Amino acid sequence: MVRLIWQELKFRRNGIIGWGIGLCWLPLVYIGIYPSVAEEMAGLADLEIYQAMGISINTFEDWIGSILFLFVPLLLSVYALINGTGTLAGEEEDGRLEMIVTLPLERWQIVTAKAVALSIATFLILLIVSLVSAVVFLSIESQIETEVMALEITTAMLATWPLIFAMAMLSLFLAAFSSRRRVAAMIATAVLLIGYFGSNLASQVSSLEALEPLFLFTYLDSSRNGLIEGQQTGDVLVLLGVGLVSFALAVYFFIQRNLTVGAWPWQRAQINSPKQAG
Amino acid sequence: MSENVIQTQGLTVYYGKHRGILDVNLLVEKGEVFGFLGPNGAGKTTTQRVLLDVIRPTSGKATIFGMDCREQGVKIRKRVGYLPGELALYAGMKASEFFKMYEYLRAGNGTKGYWRELSQRLNLDTGRKIREFSRGNKQTVGVVAAFMSRPDLLILDEPTGGLDPLVQQTVLEMVREAKADGRTVFFSSHILSEVQAVCDRVGIIRDGQLIETKRVEELVGQRMKRMSLVFPELPPNGAFDLDGVTELSRGDQRLTLEVSANLPQVLETAARYAVEDIETHSVSLEEIFLAYYGKENGGSNG
Repeated sequence: MVRLIWQELKFRRNGIIGWGIGLCWLPLVYIGIYPSVAEEMAGLADLEIYQAMGISINTFEDWIGSILFLFVPLLLSVYALINGTGTLAGEEEDGRLEMIVTLPLERWQIVTAKAVALSIATFLILLIVSLVSAVVFLSIESQIETEVMALEITTAMLATWPLIFAMAMLSLFLAAFSSRRRVAAMIATAVLLIGYFGSNLASQVSSLEALEPLFLFTYLDSSRNGLIEGQQTGDVLVLLGVGLVSFALAVYFFIQRNLTVGAWPWQRAQINSPKQAG
Repeated sequence: MSENVIQTQGLTVYYGKHRGILDVNLLVEKGEVFGFLGPNGAGKTTTQRVLLDVIRPTSGKATIFGMDCREQGVKIRKRVGYLPGELALYAGMKASEFFKMYEYLRAGNGTKGYWRELSQRLNLDTGRKIREFSRGNKQTVGVVAAFMSRPDLLILDEPTGGLDPLVQQTVLEMVREAKADGRTVFFSSHILSEVQAVCDRVGIIRDGQLIETKRVEELVGQRMKRMSLVFPELPPNGAFDLDGVTELSRGDQRLTLEVSANLPQVLETAARYAVEDIETHSVSLEEIFLAYYGKENGGSNG
């Protein structure tokens, strides 16, 4: 299986580099410009649009917390969504999966290898962005007033990974279940957007408070608290739990079903167990 | 005593309410080249995918090398080379990268680098990206991938589709060499001349059911003849109502028959009605298969 993981990572090499470089623009721009816009930003802090988006910009900690630690995981979740749905359903739709599943590999090994490779890929991209954030921060540190250190920025950024992992595994599960990339991607996109906006709205509208636990972004603390004190253990466990359950479901459905057929679950063959089939 | 490499018992696959294959009982012996024939949608690819555990049977059982295709799929696939009918490759890779990946994922079995020899033999430029290849060259990549581990069993779904005639001949040679090595080949094809050239036996599948399994020489030996008889006055209907004789058409003075048995009786009857002229020609293998495909309810299901 290590061979398959390695191969999957090789497939993702360009994506890791491309997304890594692409997302580095966020810390370059948002940390880099902070000294020159700090005063203006503080004046805009009460705008409702920022509150609705979960953005707080009073201090440097608020600013990078609500911009970087919200948008980097959000955008990286999009990468996870594209790759998570493309890796099984996409390959199945275009026929490449048949070449892999007819190799001497167990199906659970195929899903696991893809899940591990996707998780590593998202972590590596996040690592690139967090290191660049730390470097950019060091270059402006002397111009701003802040209590945070470069290492805290790096670790806080890396601590957002459980959310991306949850999104990646959820996408993988939807792909393994539906076998249709477009459908899996549509559902995953809805989960992501509803998770993001729902969490922000629920935190502001008291009547929606009860729904808050349903949204993935509820479990990501992008305030200065998240930056200074780190993510809550309970939140991290919930996100890892969502990821692991989704992964287990992906394995289950991928092992169970017919491949290459592209049928909906209710259109698929009734499959007997090997014992019954005999 | 011969050893069965592939065996299916009552193999049935339904896709929801749609029939895939129905009660297919198949035996392929070690060292033989078995041709699997049938019109599009008959169930050839479904059968092959069940053998490789890509699709699971609704009922029945399939074994390869005596092992259950579902329970021991990995052990089986270590010894099988497969060329799918709808070949899809990683377009961004060079052919050489693809073969190395395939070799790497198969975890090696003493045939490292054999793909180079095969590629050279099939005139494949492995330094080019797969997306730059013509359809024929992509198919050649698939052929090399199937043969590169020198598997004990080759499952090939229309292996020569899209290949130029020279490469087609080389692929058929490779099939013969595999047989000469004692390996087994199970392949589907629409090109009947190549079936005749390389297969020991053929199975004909129609509407999901295996309707005939025969040695190729038996099929060729039972070739029908088409006879065109000219009479001064046509014999009455039913005059040639004999076993193995079918009246195909009736003109002013000309009667056309398809004859697979009772030729002396046909000639006797023709003489009784003062036949003036007889033209005969052997029915081609294609026509025999078309007769099988179209038996009973008149044709393929597309």
